[in-house]
Amino acid sequence: MNNRIRELRARHDLSQFDLAQKVGVRRETIVFLEKGKYNPSLKLAYDISKVFKLTIEDVFIFNDAD
Amino acid sequence: MKRTIIMFVLSGLVLVTFIVWALNSKMSGGIQEILMMAGGIIVVGFAIFLAVGRARSSARKEPPEDELSKKIMLKASALSYYISIYWWLFLMYISDRVKWESHTLVGAGILGMAIIFLLSWLWTKFFGFRYE
Repeated sequence: MNNRIRELRARHDLSQFDLAQKVGVRRETIVFLEKGKYNPSLKLAYDISKVFKLTIEDVFIFNDAD
Repeated sequence: MKRTIIMFVLSGLVLVTFIVWALNSKMSGGIQEILMMAGGIIVVGFAIFLAVGRARSSARKEPPEDELSKKIMLKASALSYYISIYWWLFLMYISDRVKWESHTLVGAGILGMAIIFLLSWLWTKFFGFRYE
């Protein structure tokens, strides 16, 4: 599963810390997500998508190979 | 914050215990004693590192733990439990072949488990767990 968090964060002028604060996690979690080392829970995926005013499918891209 | 304070207090107590043990037991400076001491210092250092991380998170007004840190702990615990079984088997195997006292073997077992947990935590933290 890939995601567009880094790109969307830049577009919304948000730092990793800002996004972490908005969704109630540690900055490290955002770092892990952007590096693709962690797949978020449904709730976190939903919260992140909500910050960018997009749907989960727009932020997280599921590959069939996964 | 309460858990962070408990972690600091426990780390301090273990450290003091190690210092008292080192001062009171007439250490011969053998490799076994040095390994025990080094292992203990690594374990206490790890606990202090975790406690400092939590304190820094609180200072930055971040949650001290979130879903990722909880999952890292959970996976590291499961992995270290699995590996520890083999560690104890290994100790049982060598107990017939070396002249260690039973308390030394138990100490090596407990210290080994702590070090295995540290390594499991580092492994999980470094490689992440994308497909789980």
